[in-house]
Amino acid sequence: MTIQTKLPTAAAVRSSGFADPIAIRLTILDMLYRAKASHLGSSMSVVEMLVAMYGSTQVEKIRDRAPDRSRVIVSKGHCAAATYATMAHFGIIPMSLVDTYHTDHSLLAGHVSHAVHGVEHSTGALGHGINVAVGCAVGLRSRNVNDALALALVGDGEIQEGSVWEALMLASHLRLNNFIALVDNNRISSITDTDKVLDQRPLAQRFAGFGLGVREVDGHDVTAILSAIRGLTAGDRPGVVICSTIKGKGVPFAENQPIWHYRSLNDQLYAEAKAAVAAAARRA
Amino acid sequence: MRGQIIDAIFERMASNPDVFFLTADMGINLVEKFAETYPTRFLNVGIAEQNLVGVSAGLANLGFRPFAYTISNFAVHRCFEQIRNDIGIHDYPIVLLGTSTGYDNAPLGPTHHIIDDWGALKAIPEIDIYCPSSVSYAGFLVDHLLSTGRPAYVRIPKGAYQTPASTDHFVMLPGRGQDTLLVSYGTCAQDCLAAQARDPALAVLVVNRLRPLDEEKLAEALRPYHRIIVVEDHFPSAGLYGSLCELLVRHSVGTRMHSLAPHDYTLDVGTSNGYFHRKYGLDGDGILAAVAAH
Repeated sequence: MTIQTKLPTAAAVRSSGFADPIAIRLTILDMLYRAKASHLGSSMSVVEMLVAMYGSTQVEKIRDRAPDRSRVIVSKGHCAAATYATMAHFGIIPMSLVDTYHTDHSLLAGHVSHAVHGVEHSTGALGHGINVAVGCAVGLRSRNVNDALALALVGDGEIQEGSVWEALMLASHLRLNNFIALVDNNRISSITDTDKVLDQRPLAQRFAGFGLGVREVDGHDVTAILSAIRGLTAGDRPGVVICSTIKGKGVPFAENQPIWHYRSLNDQLYAEAKAAVAAAARRA
Repeated sequence: MRGQIIDAIFERMASNPDVFFLTADMGINLVEKFAETYPTRFLNVGIAEQNLVGVSAGLANLGFRPFAYTISNFAVHRCFEQIRNDIGIHDYPIVLLGTSTGYDNAPLGPTHHIIDDWGALKAIPEIDIYCPSSVSYAGFLVDHLLSTGRPAYVRIPKGAYQTPASTDHFVMLPGRGQDTLLVSYGTCAQDCLAAQARDPALAVLVVNRLRPLDEEKLAEALRPYHRIIVVEDHFPSAGLYGSLCELLVRHSVGTRMHSLAPHDYTLDVGTSNGYFHRKYGLDGDGILAAVAAH
């Protein structure tokens, strides 16, 4: 069965005015600073991936909870700040809601929550969301919905969970070409380099060995990620996009530093981070 | 009871296009008809129980009503976090069907003794818990589950018991007196009925729905008895004994409570349920001995 998604071009995504990764990064910094929250590192590494994922969907269907919408599932739920910022920049949730991140009585916890309109599944424990995404792909096929995707964002540390491979085996067995996993390959897991903890290189061969179509791209290039998704959906099997990313991308003192999984921004570091991201915007 | 439940699901699939049946490669000579008749609403996920639950949650996201089937210990213990996060937190109407209870798999050893399953799920408030004690209740249960639309776990005993022939969530079978009440569910209910047949003074309460308990009615049903003996193939503090002790305290019922139940894991090899029921005093002889002793 051919997947008939109407994937937008990268130019169309950019011209939509909702999906500027720099603007999303600035929003994330505001959220994390105000809330004194953690997970800056992976929130920064996944921005372009999230833009490409939501950019691959008909966002208005997600906003309207249409039954035949594509399902975007953030399996690495600690990227909540990035997820909510991206959703707000796509117009799925209001920016005023994002402002409440990590505060008393807010809907927005530090891990992705389905209490928030447009979020498909609450995550936080790793190795859960990808299985749910495979279930969504099965369900879309069973409902005969051929123009929607099930997209799962997983971490390169998260794929140490055995349940991830259970999901991939089934997706491959069923030839679910409406399912795509995007791996945030920032090469750092919780406390140190992923390769030092549990070396899964070469990743592409591992996924290919499980029967999936594989693309390797620069994870900070929205166009490249979109192109990879487009290429995979044209095939007859599920896909994995291995996105090479930098943990803490755009914030020089946090880039590739495992401690920024946990640390929060003080006044000085917040100002430094904002200035660095804004300077990157000017260079672009 | 398993046959009644499976048949009822199969029948409902004809009229309800949302019913979806999943298995983790269990149910030989039982589930094949689902694959043949409803290939787009049947899925064997393989021996991958965590995925069984996760995929069921994805299907529930699409509006399906998943029934996920495997042996009880694999369904519960292997997947506790999936049940907590992907079913409980989301309040998805997923029914976990666990085949086998207590010592149904007696000679297969302690990994397959199911004496701590539903107690584990008592820790997750969203999950309703059932243990059909008769074919009547088993036949009724699927429609009930579809009507409640709640997350549920059903522990299914291997037997096909005709009594008590009732579709009520609990059934009182009065004795000649109000001294001793035996309370039980599933396979052990049959042991209690056997004891009652030998000593008609004993009353028996059979519980089919383990949570929620109908608190007010149960408190009033239990209040007249001088002592209550809960007989179960499950660890008692996490089982019905624990639930009823809490209930009676909440309702200021001062009846003496006793438990007949397994209290540990065992490496003993027994060829049938009966071996372990005798070992832990859950059979008719054991129950009557407990009645005489207390």
